[in-house]
Amino acid sequence: MPIQPILRYPHPVLKKLCNRVEQIDPPIHTLIGDLVDTMVAGPGSVGVAAPQIGVTLRVCVVDVSKNRFGKENNHGRLCMVNPEIIARSGIATMREGCMSIPDYTGDVERNTQITLRFTEPDGTEREILASGFEAVAIQHEMDHLDGVLFLDRVVSIKTGLFRRKSY
Amino acid sequence: MTSEQETTHYAVSVVGKDRPGIVAAITEGLFRLGGNIADSSCTMLAGEFAMILIVSLKSRSGEKGLLEELTPVCDRIGMSLGVRTLHGDEIVRQEPDGEICMISVYGADQPGIVYRVTRELATRSINITDLNTKLIGSETEPVYVLMLEVALPEGETAEGVEALLAELKAELHVEIAVRIITPVVF
Repeated sequence: MPIQPILRYPHPVLKKLCNRVEQIDPPIHTLIGDLVDTMVAGPGSVGVAAPQIGVTLRVCVVDVSKNRFGKENNHGRLCMVNPEIIARSGIATMREGCMSIPDYTGDVERNTQITLRFTEPDGTEREILASGFEAVAIQHEMDHLDGVLFLDRVVSIKTGLFRRKSY
Repeated sequence: MTSEQETTHYAVSVVGKDRPGIVAAITEGLFRLGGNIADSSCTMLAGEFAMILIVSLKSRSGEKGLLEELTPVCDRIGMSLGVRTLHGDEIVRQEPDGEICMISVYGADQPGIVYRVTRELATRSINITDLNTKLIGSETEPVYVLMLEVALPEGETAEGVEALLAELKAELHVEIAVRIITPVVF
């Protein structure tokens, strides 16, 4: 299952509301495989959402287990179909960037704890309580399913360093 | 492409008493010239509004053209103007190898806080990418706040920076906190 190119803004798909997956069929399995391969291939990537590879379906993958902020507290590799946050609490600010908007970062507020319900690739329903960095990563990826980019959520005008490297 | 005029970059700074309409007035002039604003930072300091813009321009009139366009505007709204032509090697941003760090320094106001802190950072080649200061507190008890965003050289750590500034912290009786804020790219 091949690594897919990450679409960059202003690709219109990145601002689309994605559709629910009605049935987990072989194309969905292929999509999940592509998302995982693309995530694993991205240097330091901890998640990819379907619209980032051009598919407007509510599917995303997250794995923070190899990240220094996430390695102590995580659920391993999460492959989420139709994920929904059913409870949220706590707020923390973190500086985020996104592979779909290179060379720009900004401070974003996220909930520090979320209760998440989603369907596993094998069709089983699962509910987890995610916190800390993993919760932030899940919220970032789930935003993609609603066409929301971190730029829509920046809370401070201080944008930090990586705006552009050259003109 | 060879027939096209070459693009030149300029650093434009505009400073003066704050009031509504400054940005619109300056950017109208730039728009008229066909200039593009690349990076910019504009902020209010006390009652002054300060604009720093990196402007790219294809026009042959260059620096002279910019001054001719913006000087009357600045005269009209009471702002001072500075224009500097950038050379090719100046417009390439250096990408830091190491972590991005936030340093907060605060305590009783006294002369030399910024100088003493930044001198220590310079000795270790720690590059300041953003800095702001604010005088807060009361007239009888003024408190100085200095916030720095710095790029650490490869191998340098937050603990290393804290240790570097520990002596200064004791000498100036200020609080110094260092934390890594390297962005996470999802």
